[in-house]
Amino acid sequence: MKRHELIVIGAGPAGLSAAIEAKKSGMDVIVFDENSRPGGQLFKQIHKFFGSKEHHAKERGFKIGESLLAEAEELGVKVELNATVMGIYENKEVTVKMNGEVDHFKADKIIIATGAAENMIPFKGWNIPGVIGAGAAQAMMNLQGVKPGSKILMVGSGNVGLVVSFQLLQAGCEVAAVIDAAPRVGGYGVHAAKVARTGVPFYLSHTVIEAKGTDHVSGAVIAEVDSHFQPIPGTEKELDVDTICIAVGLSPMSQLASNAKCDMALIPQKGGNVALLSEYGETNIKGIYCAGDVAGIEEASSAMIQGRSVASHVCYSLGYITEEEFNTKYDSYQEALGKLRMGMFAPANKGRNDFTVTDEGYPISKNLLAKGYMTEEELENFPAYNYKKAGVHPIIECTQNIPCNPCQDACPKKCIKVGENITMLPQIDEEQGCIGCGLCVASCSGQAIFLMDETSDPDGVLISFPYEFLPLPEVGDKGTALSRSGAPVCEAVITDVKKTKVMDKTAVVTMRVPHEFKNSARFYKPV
Amino acid sequence: MSEKRIAEHPILGEYQKGELVHFTFDGKDVTGFEGESIAAALKAAGVMVHRYTAKEHKPRGIFCAIGRCTDCVMIVNGEPNVRTCITPLVEGMVVETQYGVETKEAWEASHNEKT
Repeated sequence: MKRHELIVIGAGPAGLSAAIEAKKSGMDVIVFDENSRPGGQLFKQIHKFFGSKEHHAKERGFKIGESLLAEAEELGVKVELNATVMGIYENKEVTVKMNGEVDHFKADKIIIATGAAENMIPFKGWNIPGVIGAGAAQAMMNLQGVKPGSKILMVGSGNVGLVVSFQLLQAGCEVAAVIDAAPRVGGYGVHAAKVARTGVPFYLSHTVIEAKGTDHVSGAVIAEVDSHFQPIPGTEKELDVDTICIAVGLSPMSQLASNAKCDMALIPQKGGNVALLSEYGETNIKGIYCAGDVAGIEEASSAMIQGRSVASHVCYSLGYITEEEFNTKYDSYQEALGKLRMGMFAPANKGRNDFTVTDEGYPISKNLLAKGYMTEEELENFPAYNYKKAGVHPIIECTQNIPCNPCQDACPKKCIKVGENITMLPQIDEEQGCIGCGLCVASCSGQAIFLMDETSDPDGVLISFPYEFLPLPEVGDKGTALSRSGAPVCEAVITDVKKTKVMDKTAVVTMRVPHEFKNSARFYKPV
Repeated sequence: MSEKRIAEHPILGEYQKGELVHFTFDGKDVTGFEGESIAAALKAAGVMVHRYTAKEHKPRGIFCAIGRCTDCVMIVNGEPNVRTCITPLVEGMVVETQYGVETKEAWEASHNEKT
């Protein structure tokens, strides 16, 4: 039997962060992960993260994964891969399967950071080839470089469904529709809007009832559901797709906590069965902790902070840091977590659908929740959309209180203010002068910032928008301007394309459209 | 290159791939890149069915792609139940569709015996 002061189970964002924190204090720590690569699901994430600088906002997930791995390596954190923890027994004995053999380990402290598993929904034909999990789609396109399909139906409009839909489009796949049995889009409105403006239709209050095909998916039948989520006969629609991608939520993989006989509870806000934890992340069994999605479904950003916070308590309880050091660390981690856990998408608000106004008192867009994009009339309630001035200036279509503020840091002229509370909507400071650099456009993880210039070009109005597709348009190209729903609006001419290192692969493309389309043209399709 | 492969990605650029290698799928010569998952190479080659279930003979293919669900298991170099989504491709691999836990020939032989 081998002994370690701390065993961390899972080398994802929470586990690696915990191990780093513990190792920094000088503790003897080992990490086990059943996968052949560390990083958990971070390396599949190619979108820019939300939050603020301390949460790695506007950095892409796989880049955050790379820095986490580099930090762990530099500190000499020992990570055992292809090592499946089979059980946790009395006195913190852990059995691990490695190379076909079972090894016994013993620890003073254990941090369970096993993450989450995807939920599935059964329907006719749900297990034929071509029905895949959203995580599978990400693994295939973002890790392996292979398209998961050519025409895809996305089932689920939470952040995973929306983010993966966008990634499918980036990989060159066609997304036939995003559907959700709920009557409202579940994820961030900005994620929905960037998918909708490419022309992907949203069908809310819809479910998939059948995957057509025998050896592989050759179509999908969807139907509208009533208020009890039952399909309404006669509303069936068949979609021509070869792939059905399921993104209907995640559940904590808490089996090890349960196996260790920790007190468990089914908590819907946390996504399922979780161990009951103290404020420091400790279960009722002294010395066994949980961190990350296994403790309750959140984002990777919060998992990383949770990992560090929990590990700081481990360090304190084993005498590696003083009480004072612990208190300082714990408070700063909780403050960082608190910032991510505010606003209408806060874990405490999970399942709530009674928000009618933002924290600022602006009416929430109903169309955004029903169709994935906002109407012009709804946007007019938001000052940062309505801002007008001669010359170039930002137009911000960010209308939900989500934890994010990179736009505030991006502007070299300090035109954009979010404030201390990062879930507040960005405001445009009229005293400052926009120089049209486009950094705010590229920095917005939700791709909700545009630049508008109604006066500089006599032939029309210039609209700049974020663009993360290939081929990149070139100056002089002619194409079609699309509306927020992806409908053709008018002809557009590309007048500028900015792509700098700091923009991190988000190009800022400027198109010229006739004045009457200034409030409707928001995206571009090459001819 | 197969049109199922992403030639250039707007965020990831060009994918870092190993050497082009040959392997066989049910006796046919197929190419893929060394180190990518067997499942990825098969997907790029247009293969959807990895196995048929033992009792009901239902087709199964890639489902979770992270080694959890076991839907994608195949017979690799004679060994059944290999999770192709997390097993790296190596030159010369012999990959076969799995019928129950056997090769097609073995399954058909035992199936014919019973009937």
